[in-house]
Amino acid sequence: MRAFNAELSKLFSLPGMWLAFVIGILAPPLLAILDSLAEKEDIIAGVSTRLSEVGFTGLGGGVQGIIILGVLAVSSEYLTESSESGGGNQITTSLTAVSSRLQFLLAKAGAVTVISVLLSILAIGTTVAATHLILGDYAPAFEASRLIGAVCYWTFTALLAFGMTVLTKSGIIPLAVLMINSSVVTISFLLTKVTKLAFYLPDMAGLDMFLSPSGGFHTPFTGGVIMFAWVTVLFLAAAIVFHRRDVAS
Amino acid sequence: MLTINNVVKHRGNQKILSGVSFSARPGRVTGFLGPNGAGKSSTLRILLGLDRATSGSALIDGVPFAELKNPLATVGAALDGFGAHRMRTGRAHLRWIARAAGLPRSRVEEVLEIVGLTNAAGKRVGTYSLGMGRRLGMAAALLGDPEILVLDEPVNGLDPEGIRWIRTFLRERAASGKTILLSSHLMGELAETVDDVVIIHHGKVVADGTLEEVTGTHSSLEEAFFALTTEHAGAVV
Amino acid sequence: MMVSSSRKITPIFGAELDKLVTLPLIWRTFVATFIVNLALTAAFTSANLQGAIGTQSILATGLASMGYLQAGFIILGILATCSEYTGGQIRTTLTTIPWRGLQLSTKHLALAVVTIPMALILTGSGILYAFIMMRDTAAEMEIDTMIKTLLGATGYLTLTTLLSAAIGALFKRTTPALVVLLGYYFIVSPLAREYLPNIQYYFPDTAGSYMYMPLSSGEISSLSPLQGTGIILAWTLFFITAAIVCYRKRDA
Repeated sequence: MRAFNAELSKLFSLPGMWLAFVIGILAPPLLAILDSLAEKEDIIAGVSTRLSEVGFTGLGGGVQGIIILGVLAVSSEYLTESSESGGGNQITTSLTAVSSRLQFLLAKAGAVTVISVLLSILAIGTTVAATHLILGDYAPAFEASRLIGAVCYWTFTALLAFGMTVLTKSGIIPLAVLMINSSVVTISFLLTKVTKLAFYLPDMAGLDMFLSPSGGFHTPFTGGVIMFAWVTVLFLAAAIVFHRRDVAS
Repeated sequence: MLTINNVVKHRGNQKILSGVSFSARPGRVTGFLGPNGAGKSSTLRILLGLDRATSGSALIDGVPFAELKNPLATVGAALDGFGAHRMRTGRAHLRWIARAAGLPRSRVEEVLEIVGLTNAAGKRVGTYSLGMGRRLGMAAALLGDPEILVLDEPVNGLDPEGIRWIRTFLRERAASGKTILLSSHLMGELAETVDDVVIIHHGKVVADGTLEEVTGTHSSLEEAFFALTTEHAGAVV
Repeated sequence: MMVSSSRKITPIFGAELDKLVTLPLIWRTFVATFIVNLALTAAFTSANLQGAIGTQSILATGLASMGYLQAGFIILGILATCSEYTGGQIRTTLTTIPWRGLQLSTKHLALAVVTIPMALILTGSGILYAFIMMRDTAAEMEIDTMIKTLLGATGYLTLTTLLSAAIGALFKRTTPALVVLLGYYFIVSPLAREYLPNIQYYFPDTAGSYMYMPLSSGEISSLSPLQGTGIILAWTLFFITAAIVCYRKRDA
């Protein structure tokens, strides 16, 4: 528990974390507003086929904040771009303060999870408000089950970013892969055109938790299970590698 | 000849240096002393053109660092930290510096030999110990065989052998007429190496003179240092 | 002053080139981009071969992954400038080469020299793969169109790299520079393309894409390759200038 508190305070004292929060709270409503504006006429005319998606698209596409959160939580431990001295490897300090590496990793993942849940709830708040602002009475209903799906999607995404960064020790690869893959046309989506297996990629499966309640490849529940399986596998891999690796290397 | 003339440095609202003046003369080792955060590194950074002084000037043989014709052959600097990218090898690091100054590659091997890093030259800088990092910094400073050496905490992290080597090395260079300015907070070590002492405290020079003058009536340099930096006493000389 | 500058520039250029080629991260980025690009091109090609789209040109298929490929070059550019700030190397750089404007512009020059062959290899390999896989089905390809496209794509990737390097120099830190650039190229810009169709032609990536986009696709093209080059070049020079101005003013 003490390790968990320490990780929380470490996260909140990172300047980059505030950037993650700002993006996390602003990006989804912004996407939702753009999407709502584009669909507004169709929705009012009653011919929109995407009514149930409006708003949720923001939550699906606006995950950049949460990616930054997951990546920074780990990469800040290894950051060496310090202008003074030979570079700050905080990881050495961290691992002398919390001697068990597994405990350290769990505490950190726990802190990331808690902040992700918090951030996703805030993001849902701003997104729902933004959608209502644009569409007024025409705004779609936000069912609780789908909102929970969105929270899960955000949290799992943060943990994926977290696990990848533990493996790579630097934020470059996870940031590049995940941010590119949160683009308007994702690589995963393109891959689904080549092979059906791509529907089992974490983001494609995860989006089925809330984005397409009826028309998805998976049911929301299986989608969630598949994404969670990815998170678990990645976390186990990260834990094993982290356990075996010398800190200095 | 290094001349620091009434240098003032503000960072935000903070006053880091408030009118620092002193000089380091050829043929002598000048020790630059002060507690942590007194402004030692800031002064050296301004001298080397890394940071900009709010007012005042820091001159090397009468010109600012950036106007030197051949900086590496005039001033060799080893500041705090490794000064090298962690993923490059020590040799590759020295090679690009040599290339920038138009020095032959054989000079790289020479300085590696001088600082005793030949065996570790092929390893990545990230794997170096603190002491090896300092040696790499010294090697970079010596590449151009400069007339002036500016060293920030040169003995920090060195083993006893390394400390003795630095001491004799610096004495020899000073004896051959070169200018050496080094900062440190290790009094005992400094007292055995330096000719002149400048003590800085809260961004102000509180003492400036030869070792004997600054030590004055105190039993040692260390005593003088504490007397000066804890009582906020005025300049001795 | 001009004479002394030109005499200085050769050793500085050599040093900057040395710095780039001895940095393992640069090579790793290149190899990773190469592999990912081939995999993506393979995916696009097979989608095209199975696909309903029919007669896709080899060039369009071979360069379909450009949008993702540029991420590798963005990273390359950021690494080139931000690596200075790892381990305090910037202090060594500036005590060795205290002429900041000259140093940073020479760094961009050295980066361009390293990037051009990389970009040629990457775009060339993509087109070659598409050519080998599709030569039986696709329409004939004219050799001079191919060369023009190849050069355009190489130019685009090189300018993108230089622009990223300038942004990296402004931020000094890899992570924020990466977030800003990836956020722009992969999130803001595609959105702008959708919602702000009128001004998107002035954005560096959209304008730059006209440097290599096959014109034969029938759509009304709003920019000629030359105009596209001009706009992205202007952006790149603007950011490099801004980076140099900041670099000269601030404390290292």
